Amino acid sequence: MLETTENPATLANDDPITSDPRQFSAKVNAWMPHEIMLTDAWFPLAHSFAVDKKPVRRAVYSQPFYLWRSPDGEVLAAENHPNDPLADTKSEYTDESGHYPVLEKYGYVWGWLGKPENAASEHVPSIPYLPEDGGLPLHMLGTVRFDCCAPLSLENLIDLTHADFIHADVVGDEKMDSEKVEVFHDSETITMVRTCVNKSVAPIMKMFGGVRDDVQQVRQVIRIYLRSHAAIAYGRFSPGDNVQLFHPCVPETRDRTRLDYAMNTSNVKKSNLFRYMMPKASYKVSRQDSSMTSPQSPRYMRPEKRKDLHSPLDEAGQKYRVLMTELAERQARGDFAYRDDVSADCSDIIGYEKA
Amino acid sequence: MTETVWWAVARSEEVSAEKPLSVDIGDQPIVLWRDTDGAVRALEDRCPHRRAPLSLGCILGNGAIQCGYHGWTYDGASGRLIDIPNLKSERKFPPVYKARSFGVHESAGFVRICLDAKAPLPADDGYTLPLSGTSTVALEHGQYIAALFDDPSLLISIKGVRFSPYLLSELCEQEGQLVMERSCQWASPHWPAPFTSDFPISLRIATDPVTGESDLTLRDDEFNLLLHATLAPVPGARRVTQVRWRAILSPERHGLAAKAMGVGTPLRVHDHIDGAALRVLKPSASIHADDLREKIAASVEQQDKVA
Repeated sequence: MLETTENPATLANDDPITSDPRQFSAKVNAWMPHEIMLTDAWFPLAHSFAVDKKPVRRAVYSQPFYLWRSPDGEVLAAENHPNDPLADTKSEYTDESGHYPVLEKYGYVWGWLGKPENAASEHVPSIPYLPEDGGLPLHMLGTVRFDCCAPLSLENLIDLTHADFIHADVVGDEKMDSEKVEVFHDSETITMVRTCVNKSVAPIMKMFGGVRDDVQQVRQVIRIYLRSHAAIAYGRFSPGDNVQLFHPCVPETRDRTRLDYAMNTSNVKKSNLFRYMMPKASYKVSRQDSSMTSPQSPRYMRPEKRKDLHSPLDEAGQKYRVLMTELAERQARGDFAYRDDVSADCSDIIGYEKA
Repeated sequence: MTETVWWAVARSEEVSAEKPLSVDIGDQPIVLWRDTDGAVRALEDRCPHRRAPLSLGCILGNGAIQCGYHGWTYDGASGRLIDIPNLKSERKFPPVYKARSFGVHESAGFVRICLDAKAPLPADDGYTLPLSGTSTVALEHGQYIAALFDDPSLLISIKGVRFSPYLLSELCEQEGQLVMERSCQWASPHWPAPFTSDFPISLRIATDPVTGESDLTLRDDEFNLLLHATLAPVPGARRVTQVRWRAILSPERHGLAAKAMGVGTPLRVHDHIDGAALRVLKPSASIHADDLREKIAASVEQQDKVA
């Protein structure tokens, strides 16, 4: 396993974001998300309920993962289908029997892509509002897909101003009195906090959530676990109910993303339709995202001389680019150590209000 | 056009001893026929006398091809002129009196031609798949292969199968080929592909980096074979692509939809391409193809040096 405690915390002069503004800018503009392949990470490959005796197939960077349960219910993950008569290949990511490290937590089957000997449960990201043993009802779970690069999907997510336009009919438009974006990071995570004053009420909350006001106070948090390509999307709404979404973006290939989401609405009253409708909004919202990210994705596959233009609202996206690039460069140098602890409870960081 | 490449320019059943067949590799016209032994012969489809297409002539009882313009007659194996009927003589012609000949190889129901007549023969491909067809598409060869990688539904239909945009494996190099795998659904009513957790079938495409000849393998989610096909796209004149294909349906198929593949034609290779759909097709898997081709070519060059 990779001991986080044995590795020094990121030093100020090691921090790619604060070390040199010119280098920072150069990295932002040299963004090649399709070239980033991070390993030694747990990927949330499937909802636990989706894995049974018959093998299901998943992939990370085209590397096949077949998942199934043994008769005693234990999850197994192998790189070859048990029925594949020609299976004689074995990658560096599996043990002698062709199996990957695998575990279950938060209602997901997590598969480890990386050196098997480095796999450790300490590297599973912290998700404060998902029960560790899983068990959320099926209506809070679902699968959506993007034909887009996973880091682009996450860059799209962490700049929430996109939501005011392409998701305006679900989560509300850009009309508000003021907006503040704060960004925090370490070597393994980035967290964006967006605070909006008197923002237009999300139509879905008006339609199904019983919110009668025209404006609401909004605090939205996106926290991305860089290696696992997994995000927490936590929103506090007043008036309204808090939104607790786990938003993994598994890079099935470099240009395809799988999102087995969990929208825990158990904080919403059982009599409130919002509890049942909000998780389903993912189907609409994901297609709206895909309408932009799908054509956007191939435009980042090749080096591009023209620089993207940026606004101050892009701080989180810029830092995400640099942190991902830095992590990829570090791994290219053979350094796979976790310098920060991803499994430490992040409730305080995201401002989680326990129900 | 690479001189040493073997192109599948015809299906075996298209080449006969009765009528010459005109094909082309790029701008090179070629005439094919069978001689008295049944062996396929290939010459430049151009009589060296007055440049008329030999394919407009006929095949004689001795297996030679005769130009339909002035009757000049050529031996298929060597391309040498063997007769000018109106000369009424037994004279021998100097070696320069010959049509250009090409390398020919017939295997697994495909006739392959190499522009270099002295190129070493390729290995035999095994057995002949029973279903077959030929289509001609007004799309340049490289673009045809790129479309196959990015959205096969523009080029082919497999009975009862819908190709999804979601890949299990992006284009990568495997044993010198370009290989990818795509998730598919049955065409019956189903949950939309973008919201589907698990797909019941997958299509693996393994493509030769130079010719674009592709093996298609359709399997169900228990790894059972449903359909195997070979598509052989060849660049033709005026940048059209001629596609010869062969296929076989697995005799054992589980489930109603899989069994229904046996009713009618399981594979269709389209003659027409939807230009509007092609124009907006997102370039995705195909983007990496050229890099992979370069990598494979470099590796082959290295192996040749070592050998």
